[in-house]
Amino acid sequence: MLLNWDLISGAVVLGIFTGGIYALMASGLTLTFGVMDVINVAQGALVILGAYLSYAVEQHLHIDIFLSLLITMPAMFLIGMLLEVAFIRPLKHERTVFSILVTFAIALVIEGILGKIFTTNFVQLGANAWYVNQSFKIGGTYVGYIYLFGFVLAAVLLAGLYLLLYRTRFGFALRATVENRTAAQLIGIDVERVSAITFGIGVSLAAAGGMAFGATQTFDPGSHYDLISRLLAIIILGGMGSLAGAMIASIFMLVVFNVTSVVYSPTWGTVVFFVLLSVVLLVRPQGFLGRAEARRQ
Amino acid sequence: MGTEARAAQQPALLSLRGLYAGYGGGDILRGVDLEVPEGSVTCVVGPNGAGKSTVLRVVSGLLRARAGSATFAGTSLLGRSPRRILDMGIVQVPQDGSLFPNMTVVDNVRMGAYTVRDRGLIERRMGEVQDLFPVVRERAQEKAGALSGGQQKMVEFARSLMLNPRLVLLDEPSMGLDPKTLRTILDQVDLMRRTGKTVLMVEQNARSGLRASTHGVVMESGRVRLTGSAAEVLDNPQIGELYLGGAMTGSKPSEPATMTAPE
Repeated sequence: MLLNWDLISGAVVLGIFTGGIYALMASGLTLTFGVMDVINVAQGALVILGAYLSYAVEQHLHIDIFLSLLITMPAMFLIGMLLEVAFIRPLKHERTVFSILVTFAIALVIEGILGKIFTTNFVQLGANAWYVNQSFKIGGTYVGYIYLFGFVLAAVLLAGLYLLLYRTRFGFALRATVENRTAAQLIGIDVERVSAITFGIGVSLAAAGGMAFGATQTFDPGSHYDLISRLLAIIILGGMGSLAGAMIASIFMLVVFNVTSVVYSPTWGTVVFFVLLSVVLLVRPQGFLGRAEARRQ
Repeated sequence: MGTEARAAQQPALLSLRGLYAGYGGGDILRGVDLEVPEGSVTCVVGPNGAGKSTVLRVVSGLLRARAGSATFAGTSLLGRSPRRILDMGIVQVPQDGSLFPNMTVVDNVRMGAYTVRDRGLIERRMGEVQDLFPVVRERAQEKAGALSGGQQKMVEFARSLMLNPRLVLLDEPSMGLDPKTLRTILDQVDLMRRTGKTVLMVEQNARSGLRASTHGVVMESGRVRLTGSAAEVLDNPQIGELYLGGAMTGSKPSEPATMTAPE
């Protein structure tokens, strides 16, 4: 087999850029699991909701899709806090299992509402924006500027999240809650408030991820099914609850997918990723950066 | 005047009356009556499932009582959040390791003063607990998860003192420790008492726990069966047979322990 190294190097770069965008979408998912033991299968639908909100702002207010985040991220933060208080907080027992059911119901409701408002036609964000339509060449591959900008957005927001986690009092409280929820309560941390804010942060990151996702490909209200399966695979591979793991796994997933796509075919991209996922989990069941021991409660 | 006698004369800092509490459908505590004198180390012993740890969870606000009363220095504890109870001067060191393993030792201890905003006060307290527990200074920048079981317990104790509490709740501090480390840990419990703290301790290792205490409480099936000085509880032949693997000798009780018949 003759390998075209120009194509492969381009696929790797594109995989890294797209992986950054997926890391943004997955970061909220892994964060809410780490803090709350909640598997939010509505994260995919929330990403799509974020994409549609940016679409609405772009269409009706004629605001650039990156600037639309100044509206959609705070709005989605509030939506996330409301969802947590209304649907997640009441789950006192078997929270992880029931959270899957509850958040799946939320996903279906979001999908239904979006279908009613926007119809099920596929749309794409930034159709007239220069950075969506123009490309630059890496190796033998042309890469749209939107991928680079999406990656930079992801890097900036994830760096901000890192600073929030490691340089602020709230970050200490959040990390303490992740590591030992009961002990966090006993030193005076309001873990319910931390949970609501964390869920809000996760959903607002979904808004940013949704904008980047919607600008790099077409989507409809049902796009969340494919998305959530990928996001769940990413946080499992990265290690449930690990933010750095989610970033590494996102880039790994997209690089594997892209390289397989150019070497064989896109059909095999997902298959090869899931085979590699299974192999990694056989060797390292906790994922790349997951904790080997059971989480303390 | 001996330590036990002095503590016995103190008014109760913590008082539980007819306390009922449980998880899910059933009651674990079924009418607990308990008093913890100020300045004492009170050790609660009893078989598994007696409700010992549940008592601590109610006092610290992690579990809501269904009936009864719990007062601390004359103020009711019931219905208050863990944060409010912390503010009242009650801290708990839970049973199953309460450190944040990926944070450094010094950050773990500093987190004990999470509710304090005054940085100067935090640093003063840090200096004090470092003097009491040298491991905090010696291993300051290491991840707490890398310490031995005994060292982790020391760090937990240090963290619990960051708020300068009046009452420290210790849930099975000896769990998982070898006998030598256990001795050290119980010495630290006595150190807490000597620095003016009142300690309510639940201990599975009943003999060691009672020997390190001024007062003893025996629980069974969600009720208090016996209260008295630690020496009296150790010497009580019935309790000795039931919970301590045989009656102890060598203590001289000043007054008989109170045996409470189950209802």
